[in-house]
Amino acid sequence: MISIDLNLVWTIINIIVLYLLLKHFLIGPVTNIMDRRRQMIEDGFKNAQAAQDDADRLKQEYEAALSGAKQESVQIVEDARKSARAEYDRIVNEAGQKAGSMIEAAKESVRTEREQTMKELKSQIAGLAAASAARIIGGHADEKGNSALYDQFLKEAGEGNGNAD
Amino acid sequence: MEELSCETVFSLPVVGGISESVVVTWIIMAVLVVASLLLTRNLSVENPGKVQLMLEAGIGWAQDFFEGIIGKEAKRYGPYLITVLIYLAAANTLAPLFGFKPPTKDLNVTAALAVMSMCLIEFSGIRKNGVKHWVKHFAEPVPVVAPITVLEIVIRPLSLCMRLFGNMLAGFVVLELLKFFVPLIVPIPVSFYFDIFDGLLQAYVFVFLTALFMTEEME
Repeated sequence: MISIDLNLVWTIINIIVLYLLLKHFLIGPVTNIMDRRRQMIEDGFKNAQAAQDDADRLKQEYEAALSGAKQESVQIVEDARKSARAEYDRIVNEAGQKAGSMIEAAKESVRTEREQTMKELKSQIAGLAAASAARIIGGHADEKGNSALYDQFLKEAGEGNGNAD
Repeated sequence: MEELSCETVFSLPVVGGISESVVVTWIIMAVLVVASLLLTRNLSVENPGKVQLMLEAGIGWAQDFFEGIIGKEAKRYGPYLITVLIYLAAANTLAPLFGFKPPTKDLNVTAALAVMSMCLIEFSGIRKNGVKHWVKHFAEPVPVVAPITVLEIVIRPLSLCMRLFGNMLAGFVVLELLKFFVPLIVPIPVSFYFDIFDGLLQAYVFVFLTALFMTEEME
């Protein structure tokens, strides 16, 4: 019952053989499968994390681009408004100037015309005066003749004046 | 009394007698290998079946258990310890349930396991810390204890061997006596206790202590 013999050696060999067999047929495959599953799950997590990071990065980029575009549009509107105002001012100024110069020209022409008329009038009055003086000196120095002469003078002067205006 | 003795089943011309325990071990080995072949037939990473889940739970539990004791080195020594655990569980429980004498009732078997454990314990220590440290560590903490720590090399496997052998033999003897006096019904719960509970417990204790001694040696 209690004796050590060669069976101890056979048992050792048995255990070593059993170890190799079980390692190859049971523990190896099962461990392999478990490792592969763990690897797969880790890969899945890693991929999910990478996708998440990617999405975050893209979102940030879009946000940056969007805010840039907003600023740019504000800038463009501002510029357009400024240039429109400048154009408006320029046009109004130009129109004002043009109108001013036109009024000025009109005034000028009116004045010159008036001066010319005055000049004509003066010369006619001078002529009439000279003619009436000549008539007075020339003869009929009576009352009736004088009054007729005045009337004629005045009439001619009035006509001349009327014509001049 | 013939149940107590380990009979020689047959004799080979050169190597001598082959005892019953070795033959039962062969049978257990064959059963285990065939069972593993059958169980690991359709392993899949994504759709594990019920059998595979059970298998993975068992192997995973054992690996975690040894990793908890030994640490990182468990990857190297785990398969051997799992093999011993499975073998002892089968030898202690299945063999008596199917009418064989448990091989662990033979001192040769437990001694062989203890010798293997001894080699493994010392090997793990030498591998981890080198021969120099292994030689030096006998004189720690004080050189006076050196004879005792050297004796420990033998004492630890001897205690493993005798614990297993004594438990199995005692259980076997008690059960045989009970069967002799009360052959009906009463041996059933007792058999459950000695064959299944005590058998699994002893298998557990054996690998647990081996792993523990390895950890001690690797410090």
